[in-house]
Amino acid sequence: MSGYADIHPPEWPLKFLRFFLNPKYLEEIEGDLEEIFQENIERYSPGKARRLYAYETLKLIRPNLLKKFMQPANFNHYPMYKNYIKIAWRNLLKKKAYSFINISGLGLGIASCFLIFLFVQHELSYDNYHENGERIYRITHGSRSTGDAAKDAKANPFWVWGNAPVGPALKDYFPEIDKIVQFSGRSDILLTHGDKTYQEDGVFFMDSTAFDVFNWKFITGDARTALAAPYSIVLTQSAAKKYFGDEEAYGKILKGSESSGRSAAGDYVVTGVIEDIPNNSHFHFNVLISLNTFRKSRPEIFENWGYVDFYTYFLGNEQFNERSFQQKIPDFITKNIGDSDSKYTIALESLKDVYLRTNAHRQPGETGSLSNIYIFSIIGLFILIIAMINFMNLSTARSMERAKEVGIRKSIGAAQGSLVLQFLGESILIVFLAMLLAAGVVVVALPFMSGLTGKEFTLTPLLTWQAPLLAFALIIIIGILAGFYPAFVLSGFKPVAVLKGIMHNSGGGGYLRRALVVFQFSLSIALITGTIIVYTQMDHLQNRDLGFDKEQMLIVDYNYDEIVNYYSESLKNTLEASQAISSVAFSRSVPGSYFPNAGTTIENADGEMKMMVQPIFQVGIDFVNHFNLELVAGRSYSRLYPSDSTSALVLNEAAAKQYGYTNPADIVGKKFDQWGRKGEVIGVVKDFNYISLHRNIEPLTLPFDPYSSRYMSVKINPENMDKTIKEVNEVWSKLVPHRPFLYSFLDNDFNQQYKSDLMFKQLFTVFACLAIFIACLGLLGLATYTAELRTKEIGIRKVLGADMRTIILLLSSDFIKLVLIAIIIAIPVSWYVMKEWLAGFAYRMEMQAWIFVVAGLIAVLIAGFTISFQSIKSAVMNPVSSLRNE
Amino acid sequence: MKKTKLGEFEELVLLAVAALQQEAYGVEIKRELESRLKEKLSVGSIQSALKRMEEKGFLTSEFGEATQKRGGKRKRIYATTSYAHKVLKEMKDIRAGLWEAMPVLAHELKLI
Amino acid sequence: MKKTKLGEFEELVLLAVAALQQEAYGVEIKRELETRLKEKLSVGSIQSALKRMEEKGFLTSEFGEATQKRGGKRKRIYYTTSYARKVLEEMKEIRAGLWESIPSLAHELRMI
Repeated sequence: MSGYADIHPPEWPLKFLRFFLNPKYLEEIEGDLEEIFQENIERYSPGKARRLYAYETLKLIRPNLLKKFMQPANFNHYPMYKNYIKIAWRNLLKKKAYSFINISGLGLGIASCFLIFLFVQHELSYDNYHENGERIYRITHGSRSTGDAAKDAKANPFWVWGNAPVGPALKDYFPEIDKIVQFSGRSDILLTHGDKTYQEDGVFFMDSTAFDVFNWKFITGDARTALAAPYSIVLTQSAAKKYFGDEEAYGKILKGSESSGRSAAGDYVVTGVIEDIPNNSHFHFNVLISLNTFRKSRPEIFENWGYVDFYTYFLGNEQFNERSFQQKIPDFITKNIGDSDSKYTIALESLKDVYLRTNAHRQPGETGSLSNIYIFSIIGLFILIIAMINFMNLSTARSMERAKEVGIRKSIGAAQGSLVLQFLGESILIVFLAMLLAAGVVVVALPFMSGLTGKEFTLTPLLTWQAPLLAFALIIIIGILAGFYPAFVLSGFKPVAVLKGIMHNSGGGGYLRRALVVFQFSLSIALITGTIIVYTQMDHLQNRDLGFDKEQMLIVDYNYDEIVNYYSESLKNTLEASQAISSVAFSRSVPGSYFPNAGTTIENADGEMKMMVQPIFQVGIDFVNHFNLELVAGRSYSRLYPSDSTSALVLNEAAAKQYGYTNPADIVGKKFDQWGRKGEVIGVVKDFNYISLHRNIEPLTLPFDPYSSRYMSVKINPENMDKTIKEVNEVWSKLVPHRPFLYSFLDNDFNQQYKSDLMFKQLFTVFACLAIFIACLGLLGLATYTAELRTKEIGIRKVLGADMRTIILLLSSDFIKLVLIAIIIAIPVSWYVMKEWLAGFAYRMEMQAWIFVVAGLIAVLIAGFTISFQSIKSAVMNPVSSLRNE
Repeated sequence: MKKTKLGEFEELVLLAVAALQQEAYGVEIKRELESRLKEKLSVGSIQSALKRMEEKGFLTSEFGEATQKRGGKRKRIYATTSYAHKVLKEMKDIRAGLWEAMPVLAHELKLI
Repeated sequence: MKKTKLGEFEELVLLAVAALQQEAYGVEIKRELETRLKEKLSVGSIQSALKRMEEKGFLTSEFGEATQKRGGKRKRIYYTTSYARKVLEEMKEIRAGLWESIPSLAHELRMI
């Protein structure tokens, strides 16, 4: 008895109970369930008690315990409606299998729709919590090439990331801009409070105007001044908790390390704590540092139009007009740049477009995909349609059984209208039950869905005052759509013919049924094909040879720590002495990680010195060998040439092409000028995929600069990895004890770039399987029905000597034919749709014939398997029992 | 019998209510019947029968005390009406009559 | 109970069959039950109960003699199976148990 205060029955069945149960009975029955639950807890595990509780709740769905959902409007008709409901209920109970297929199919269908709706809602809700969201814009940076902004953006994607001076210049030039807010690229910093030290990855150096533009709610601190002074820091609630626990964070000091290229080490004062950033924000952070900290450390950058490290957002005032702003851009550029050779230009993006509709590169956070939203919406619709088709098919198929009832009702004076009403009412009842089931499924599935997508979903979009209305409308609409055809077929029966028993299986209904099955299976096969293609493509992405070694590559991130860089040679030597470690290299970037861009001047194929911009990987001396990059011309950096450290450059094939050399060997020996360093190009490496396979390999230079490194990569042998990691940790702690040992594996890190693709794959698979499952449920129902209809025929055939094989073939061939037709329809459709999806990848798999063959085979197998249940059952049935009647 | 007739399950529930007296509320009735029938019953089936019979006038009910065990919810205690007693008695007598009419010897013989 | 359970009317029919022995055919069963229940029963309800119970294994049947009264049609005589008698006994005992546990004093008091 002692435990009952701590263990409670699960929440959702209770909610469900309160929703459907007659409120008069609620207290009593809730009490009963609670008592049984407490009793079960003492007897079984809490889990089992909860399951039993939920099960009992479900079994409470009985007509006389339900809320009075449908009060009769007209008292005179009450007995008639009562009879309708009674008949509907009896029909449900009598044909348990059909009811099960109908309700569970529709329920799953509706639930998937709800889940997809929640997903889509969540994707569409990005950034809409900003009060002034309508007036928030941002600037993207790019180069003019044709004069047509749309074409420019396609030819050469614009970047969100850009220079700093554009901010103040915009504010001066455009009176319609109210507030400008600029912030740095995503930074990392090591923060310490007492004995707590963490490396913060989500850090932005943020303008003091941020809180005028974005609605991030303050818990403590003053929004106006929080980010004004240098070395001010604003924490989110969870970050504050991490460092200060339950203490008040405001006014406390956090010791911050150097944040490379942005600020020197120093003591930060916590000037504010804000609520955690809503999940539906297009960029996230835990910590904000005042932009003035950055300005204080590197003031010259804020005047440099060529230095790229800033995002620029602004709030327009009431007069702001997108079109007039865009028209003034060329004049703004001329006034501020003044250099006619420059092709630099800016473009405008509205905040409501930044998550789903942006093509710009270098985003401050993740972006969504509009096409995914479309794909999932379509899948949701598919699933619902499939479930509705089941319902229609089963109802029309069963119409013969109800024919007598219709005949009698008609002959005692029922009008066709009231019969239509009766049958629609029945289908609405089924949809209603399905809706209840769907509500349960959604509540249960939501946490899984969040786990699958890494996004937080809440039921809030479904729990508004409109929700009951919407649900009601949905029930009616789906009920009518699904019940429409059966209602008219059934009510159209001629009473005389029915009662005399001259009824044939309606041919028209049969054709419609077949057409619907074909349609249903086309959708399912399209989804199977889609699933296979998504899987193959993801496999292709993850297993493609990227041109560098990513296996067994341990990456230690020490965030440009100078002391570590000072010890890099001794670290390397000590580690390489170990048997388990084959090589060690230091570099500023590793494939898949952050890298800056640089303007590089190289003598081009026409002999001119030409400045071009491309990504840059600053590397240590062994980088090329360590990652096993293939040299196609020249040589890599070497200790034999001391001048390599100041006057040599290695680049990739794409970069050689960028300067006009089709043969990479020709660029070797040419002069270069990059970031104040002059010398000769000494080697060209084969292109390797240093960014995700969504994109092609861009030109890349790999200058030798060991003291700008951020990462130590250690190539370890596959045996005893745990032991080796421990060994590396020991060496690390001995040589550079002040820096935490943060390691990861390169292949994992690199595959992080496909996080959203993997999420897509999982969601797609789940919903595709659901769709196929529901379609099979329907097929099973239909097969059962046909077999029932043909019981006598089968009996006679068996008596006349047909063997089991013939019977199974006889029953299955009809459906298999339909599935084959469906395959023919589905293949071109899925081919076209998946081609569109694959267009989002620079490296894509071939859509080979085998995929469609496999999809077709799977469909035939699933359908065959489903039908065979029933076919075999009928085939082995004793003909005596089927022929005995009559 | 007729319109007011009791289903066999309802009859059992009614008997259980009569037997349990002051203790006749949902869970207790369920427990009583489960032990006698040696089978599991659902809360739904018991509640549905109770509500039905209350409507038909076989039962009356009122709230009892709340216990912590029930999450602070009150019990609803059921009592049989005299009409219910009459019907129960009638059914008992009819069955007893039929049992008595069974020729014992033949019955015994057929059992062999 | 469970799947094989008997409805209250089926039980009565079954008891009547057991009581009537060699005479247990449709009309006689109807007559017997009508006198005991003091209400009119339809042939359909008796027949459907008989057929149902035969399927469930409570009854077996065979043709008896034809009489002129029946227009030369033969009677179908029903017999209870030992399974039926087991179930009947069981139900009787369950009810008897419940009846016994009804406190008679309180019962008497409430009857007033």
